[in-house]
Amino acid sequence: MQIARSWRQQPTNLRLVGSLCPSCGALDFPERIRCARCGAGGLENHRYSGRGSVITFSLVYEAPRGFAEQVPYLAALVRLEEGPMIATMLTDVDPEDVAVGMPVEMVTRRISADGDTGPIMYGYKFAPAHEVAP
Amino acid sequence: MGRTRAEEKWNWGLVDLAVKAAGCALDESRGAAPTAVVAANALGAALGDQRNLGAYVSSRLGLGDVEAHTVSTDEASGGSALRLAAALIEAGLHETVLAVGAEKTSDTLPDELEAVRATGLDAVREAGFGFGPLVASALGMRRYLDVHGVPRELFYHLAETAHRHAASNPLAFFPWPLTEEQYLRSPIVAAPLTVCDNAPLCDGAAAVLLRRAGASSTGLKLLGSSAISGPTGIATAIDSLALPASKRSAADALAAAGVRLGDISVFDLHDSSAFLAALSIESIGLAAPGSALLAAAEGAFHLDGRAPMWTFGGLKARGNAPGAAGLYQVAEAVLQLRGTAKKNQVPGARLALVQCLGSLGATAVTHVLG
Repeated sequence: MQIARSWRQQPTNLRLVGSLCPSCGALDFPERIRCARCGAGGLENHRYSGRGSVITFSLVYEAPRGFAEQVPYLAALVRLEEGPMIATMLTDVDPEDVAVGMPVEMVTRRISADGDTGPIMYGYKFAPAHEVAP
Repeated sequence: MGRTRAEEKWNWGLVDLAVKAAGCALDESRGAAPTAVVAANALGAALGDQRNLGAYVSSRLGLGDVEAHTVSTDEASGGSALRLAAALIEAGLHETVLAVGAEKTSDTLPDELEAVRATGLDAVREAGFGFGPLVASALGMRRYLDVHGVPRELFYHLAETAHRHAASNPLAFFPWPLTEEQYLRSPIVAAPLTVCDNAPLCDGAAAVLLRRAGASSTGLKLLGSSAISGPTGIATAIDSLALPASKRSAADALAAAGVRLGDISVFDLHDSSAFLAALSIESIGLAAPGSALLAAAEGAFHLDGRAPMWTFGGLKARGNAPGAAGLYQVAEAVLQLRGTAKKNQVPGARLALVQCLGSLGATAVTHVLG
């Protein structure tokens, strides 16, 4: 992981920042330069709430290089409550307890590390949502 | 056309494989002299292998001063190479063009290979977060099972079809039939995806020589083709359980050829994973959404079925050399249309449709031959 690459991903990885198109209102994740729906430029940053639900998931045993130490890990597709979808790992949950439709929320975790001495990249994973007291 | 055996070819490198397949195609044409070469390769640049492959293959073949390009559209690279070779001829720039695809995977360990394949998905948001093609296919497979309510075991019939045909293909990586018991015992890669739901990566190369059709041409023709790139990102295919680029590309290629889906006598669709295979079958219209597995179970894709498919084993059993995948399809279709497919022959094969996919279906390239 190159340092600059990790640095420029920080707003997306740590604060779940995406884009809002002022022309057509489309939301996208992560930040974009032009709107993929209407083609307009000048997109505004949009910070997502971090709440969503599980569309599908998998317990991964054979990982791409760089993720072996996390095996087995839960990979999922989560639909954010604002609409866009995000490929993310699930954490703080027993694989047996994961279900499609489960409400989840963003947490910050270690995503990958470049060996023992390279930079560590932190970013979003999703965990079961805490219930909010009425 | 020419092909190498799909295998782990320890004593050959990427350029050797491409030269071998291209040489077979040139030998077969008895004296054709291509003035352009379009080489296809998916992973070599990222694996530290030969870049500018087209130039190196041309030089090693002793073709002299030719126009040479290298095209890379993930696992659709082979299809793209043929499409561009045809475009060079149609534009009037060349009379004879060589399309050659090659991949060398066996020098690299599986976890590194998966990390490199992952960068054909979103390199930052997917590959960077532990998602590769295997994980994406597993997520898609669970969603397919959930939405369509089909039993997990039905996926066996896709692999069964491919293996049944590979058993009589001497160039196949896995030339044996697959029993349901073997399938069900297959180890989990990423639940619910098992080893047997995924095509094995291997080394291989395939080549096709394309010539401008003359007034008196009696050879096989490339009747229509189409290449489409739609929205990228794994969410599109997995959420909608459809491949819009696959659908559009097949429809456009059929229209260009002036034929209908029902006219096609032999098919090859992209089965790098069982998930993509099922979605391709449904996207091009060979089965209704959710019914591809049932169709396979009924034998629809066997040599004597209503839509013979993967007649030499497909990626699943012939083997997946990603950059060559699209040209293996074409080379095998040529054998079918010439009537020289021996034990794998579809009787009376007249029209073939082949489609390869890149980046989990974001890119689709379809050719119709006859």
